[in-house]
Amino acid sequence: MLRIDNLVKSFGGEKSRGKKNAASNAAVFAVNNVTFEVKEGELFTLLGPSGCGKTTTLRSIAGLEKPDSGTIAVGDRVMFSSSGNGRTVNMPANKRGLGMVFQSYAIWPHMTVFDNVAFPLQVRQRSERPSKKVIAEKVERVLATMQLSEQSGRQATKLSGGQQQRLALARALVIEPPLLLLDEPLSNLDAKLRESLRYELKRLQRELGITSVYVTHDQVEALALSTQIAVMERGGVVQLGKPRDIYEQPANKFVAEFIGTSNFIPGTVASQRAGRHCVETSNGILYLESASQLPVGSEVVVSIRPEAVELSTTSRGEQAANEWQGKVVTRAFLGDAVDHVVAVGEHEVRARVNPSVSIESGTPVYLQLDPSKISLVPVN
Amino acid sequence: MTANLADPAVTPEELRRPDDDTPEPRAARWRWPLTPKMFIVAGVAAAIGYLALVPLGYLIWGTFFDAQGLDLGSFQRAYGDGRMGELWGNSLAFAGGAALLSITVGTTLAYLNVRTAVPFKALFFAASIVPLIVPGILYTVSWIFLASPQIGLLNAFLEPIFGAAPFNIFTIWGMIWVEGLHSSPIVFLLMVAAFRSMDPSLEESALMSGASRMQTLRKVTLPLVRPALLSSILVILITSLESFEVPALLGLQNGIYVFTSRIYFVLRSYPQDLGAAGALAVSLLAVAVIGVAVTRLLAGKGSKTYQTVTGKGFRPRPLDLGKWKPVVGVGILFYFFVTVVGPLLVLLYAALLPFYQAPSWEAFASFTFDNFAQVFEMNSAARALKNSLILGLSSAAIVMSLMAVAAWISVRSTIPGRGIVEQLSFVPLVIPGIVLGLSISFVYLRFPLPIYGTILILLIAYCTKYMPYGMRYASTSMTQISAELEESAMVSGASWWTTFRRVLLPLLSPGITAGFIYILVVSFRELSSSILLYSPGNEVLSILIWEQFENGSFNVLAAIGVLMVLALMFMVTVAYKLGAKVGLRED
Amino acid sequence: MRKPRTLARTALAAGAVMVLAACGGNPTASPAAGDAVGTEASGPTEAEQLYEEIAGLSGQERRDRLVELAAEENGLNLYTSMNADMVDAVTEAFEDEFDIEPSVYRAGSETVLQRVLQEQDAGFPGNDVVETNATELMALQQEDVMAQCASPERIQEVPEAGQYEDWVATRFNLFAPSWNTDIISDPPEVWEDLADPKYDGQLALELGDYDWYMALTNYWLDQGKTQEEVDQLWADIVDGAKVVKGHTVMAELMSAGQYGLASSNYTYIVEAAKAAGAPLETQPYVNPIIARPNGGSCMKTAENPATAMLFMDWLLTEGQEVLAAAEATPSTAEVEAELIAVDGQKLLDEGSEWSQRYDAGEPGRPLPAPPQTKE
Repeated sequence: MLRIDNLVKSFGGEKSRGKKNAASNAAVFAVNNVTFEVKEGELFTLLGPSGCGKTTTLRSIAGLEKPDSGTIAVGDRVMFSSSGNGRTVNMPANKRGLGMVFQSYAIWPHMTVFDNVAFPLQVRQRSERPSKKVIAEKVERVLATMQLSEQSGRQATKLSGGQQQRLALARALVIEPPLLLLDEPLSNLDAKLRESLRYELKRLQRELGITSVYVTHDQVEALALSTQIAVMERGGVVQLGKPRDIYEQPANKFVAEFIGTSNFIPGTVASQRAGRHCVETSNGILYLESASQLPVGSEVVVSIRPEAVELSTTSRGEQAANEWQGKVVTRAFLGDAVDHVVAVGEHEVRARVNPSVSIESGTPVYLQLDPSKISLVPVN
Repeated sequence: MTANLADPAVTPEELRRPDDDTPEPRAARWRWPLTPKMFIVAGVAAAIGYLALVPLGYLIWGTFFDAQGLDLGSFQRAYGDGRMGELWGNSLAFAGGAALLSITVGTTLAYLNVRTAVPFKALFFAASIVPLIVPGILYTVSWIFLASPQIGLLNAFLEPIFGAAPFNIFTIWGMIWVEGLHSSPIVFLLMVAAFRSMDPSLEESALMSGASRMQTLRKVTLPLVRPALLSSILVILITSLESFEVPALLGLQNGIYVFTSRIYFVLRSYPQDLGAAGALAVSLLAVAVIGVAVTRLLAGKGSKTYQTVTGKGFRPRPLDLGKWKPVVGVGILFYFFVTVVGPLLVLLYAALLPFYQAPSWEAFASFTFDNFAQVFEMNSAARALKNSLILGLSSAAIVMSLMAVAAWISVRSTIPGRGIVEQLSFVPLVIPGIVLGLSISFVYLRFPLPIYGTILILLIAYCTKYMPYGMRYASTSMTQISAELEESAMVSGASWWTTFRRVLLPLLSPGITAGFIYILVVSFRELSSSILLYSPGNEVLSILIWEQFENGSFNVLAAIGVLMVLALMFMVTVAYKLGAKVGLRED
Repeated sequence: MRKPRTLARTALAAGAVMVLAACGGNPTASPAAGDAVGTEASGPTEAEQLYEEIAGLSGQERRDRLVELAAEENGLNLYTSMNADMVDAVTEAFEDEFDIEPSVYRAGSETVLQRVLQEQDAGFPGNDVVETNATELMALQQEDVMAQCASPERIQEVPEAGQYEDWVATRFNLFAPSWNTDIISDPPEVWEDLADPKYDGQLALELGDYDWYMALTNYWLDQGKTQEEVDQLWADIVDGAKVVKGHTVMAELMSAGQYGLASSNYTYIVEAAKAAGAPLETQPYVNPIIARPNGGSCMKTAENPATAMLFMDWLLTEGQEVLAAAEATPSTAEVEAELIAVDGQKLLDEGSEWSQRYDAGEPGRPLPAPPQTKE
């Protein structure tokens, strides 16, 4: 549905901003050689911290930003294509026919709710423009889907935060675009509203089956909503995969750190066969499974999710595998879980356990690590 | 590291993206050279360049060249005066003081008018503009009648309390007072536009954070309208430096000379020393260029700091004054009594008298409507009024439409040379009116189309002269509009022109309305270039005023002033009501 | 009522002291006429030929011929610095007489000059007649764009101070001290009285009256005063004086009592205020009255040359009474008081220096020495 190949966008090196930046750096790559594909009906998320290039990528798809080179195609329509020196195709934003929800919603404050939604239909070229009646029908339908029918005639600015968000969505959907772009649409809402709208969004996306590209820096949102996630860092995609894969098998330390919290223990691969690794760490040997088959002697970091750690005051036995001994340093009650920080050798390991388990600090404990939930992160 | 970045305001990422305001990629702009956008943008830029470069070229040519070639003697003549230091000192003190006063007064009034629930808003609005409507000479003379140590009415009233002559208008303070009040509507209009485009929730959140009203004003409100403040300071400084009415009428009595008196003298003798006038204007040009550059830097592209019209929950809504209401009410009444009602009453009083005399039963007994009758009997009064109306309305409309596009070019586009467009639009502000008139007549006397001798040439002069103001009003408003509002229209499929028309123009309406009112009002008293360019049949009102000033009766002049105030107050009220109906609406 | 009084008291004394250098000077010798303007290269214009042709005629014959020719022309374009009342009276009377309505451009004299120069430079025949102040007419004479067209008989009636090569005076603006009778009980009798300390704080000078300053200085020098004495007089005048801008404001503020004595207002403005009841007085005049000629001439490029000639002839005959009725001092009228005329040529040559000197004479500072009088 959407294909992006070798997308590059740099700031700074160009003539227009020469004065300010030329001295300090030649060019800052906001997006550096990004390639991915979004399939029909998918909700594809670009996830990463501020400045990672996810918004620039999205804006390039929308046509609000002109990339230096690369290809962007929606279906069989090429939106942008440039090899760097050859012929450049660059369809203007208003000809791309995509839907977009902006971070600030970008609701026009001088129009009513109805006018806001009708706008994309009204501004079509005369030959393609539906009749007033059809416009009204379409607008009413999409407003009904968004539960905004009652607000139709109101000034758009008088809506509540959640209603505004739905209005922005309605406006993006009214032309039934092949692709919906969402730029941190939930970031302006309070925590509770954000959560309910998150499920709302997921439901809508599934019901309408609309292909979407979603930009966020919130990994919880990304994990909950997406069918595919591309984690971005410094202009590049560092990992691309299903939410579960990314969570459980982070490709590197950055991803592991960014997607939730994790414990990182450095070590060396002692032996490996068919993905079954034996890693030597300062705390002892760890057995684990990993798709990446690393040669013996590789320097690695073992990433252990806090919830992959079981705590017990009793040992499973002298020779039990993946069991470390430590001492509880501190604990925190989180409601649905209890966080413990355990000192193991020279490391501190975070363990998130069922609230029924709560161990006082100072108590010696055994940490049991589930081999299937430990991931290996190569050190390059 | 993750969740707490959900900061709704400005993320570092946004600040870092230098190009994120780009509504459309650059290549698109240059690759479709035949789009309406291209025509409009190029057309507006060309129009601005043309309007600005004609007088500028003429001025530079006259300043630096004579028949023999390059000549810098004009600088010697302009600045080679032993008193130049003193003149500049006086000028700067005068202009600085006037700017300070007008900014304080204009901003306060605008804040009260827009952001608080004061009663009689339309009347309040019109009254705030009155000092702008009254021609400078009349406003100044009214103040002489009020606060002269010899004949001042205020002095006479207050003498029993404060002793003899507590006020003396013939001092630098008096000059600052009159010029500052007279200029305050420029600031008022600019700030009204800025405040109308501001989300009160920004202030309310400051109040909720425990800030007092004054702290909120200082730390939130004023910083957010900094582009408008800077524009005001720039415009007032330059217009005050150029002003000659007030310094001549008030300063000369006690020998307070300003540097514009040099321009007055070099331009009134024959042969007119355009070179020296130009050399003096060059100083102003330098001030203007630096000023515009600074405002561009501060309110420039890539900065979202001032984008107060955002796409979420923007609700222009007045704040309740609470316990301050009576205090503010009394303050407003006092202000209007002193600055508006006082001078207007004096004008009305003078307009009813055959000649000015101190108020007495005798004077009241001699009240007559002769002066008004004389105005209506003037041969060309009706025609002049009609011409002034046509010129005022059309130049205001043309300038504001051009400048709306120009503001987009300057604030939003990435077109190379956009900064030059803004600089050029500001140039006419520093060109003496007579030089402007000369340059325009020079061009159109040689122009193939018959424009010389028609009302069109006046229209061109007015558009040139008011372009700088129009640009300040439009670009200040433009910096307040969030770029996403425009981008979302583009993504919705709207062409640039549709976006401009249906999204940007309505959102710019506060600035456009304010600029329109300003130009309409001041065009009625434009004299310095009108007088050279008009032809029999297209006289304007200011010519009649000038005639009364030059050779006639001050009392008839006062009658004209009173009539002008009434007519323009009506028009301003209508324009204000219309302006409030489009675009950003208040609750 | 006012007309007879003004006229009656103003009759020209035969031995009027003319401070003028040799009348008319020698305009062609002036080096300032830089670029050749208008038409001189291509020989006489049509208008000039007509002026030449009519010049031989006089009396009724001339008038009849002009009326006849004017009927075929297309109205009259007049550029003038007369005030509104005056020009309205003049054009109405002219229209009554000949059924030709002049279309009038009115502006300050400097602006009229600029307008004419700009138009002539571009070869645009905007006006047929120009009527304005001496200084500006001298400048136009120097540019060689006007042609003397008034009837020689009428020119004879104008005092010598109003006769120039290319133009002729139609009226005089009279500068005289005026005062508020409520404040000043012992008005000045001679110009030297202005320096009297008793007027300190009561005397007002006008910002732009450097022509008056020049004429008075030269008058004093011609009377035999030394430069030092004149400088001292000016220093004493300036000491304690206020400066105002604009003659109308000058009269208005004086009638309001802001000050009691105005050094150099136009008499017609004071007379008008007096007629409205203001406590102002300008008589008995301080002698000599300083008169600045205002005059007119036809343009070489006139498109309606016959009408232009007709207008000038008329303005110097019947028009004189119309001017008088409008508070002006007609150039052919006899004035009772002693008159000294401002020298137009001198104003043109030295004006900016005098202007700068006058400007420098702000209160409290003695005026620097005036330029050496050129012979």
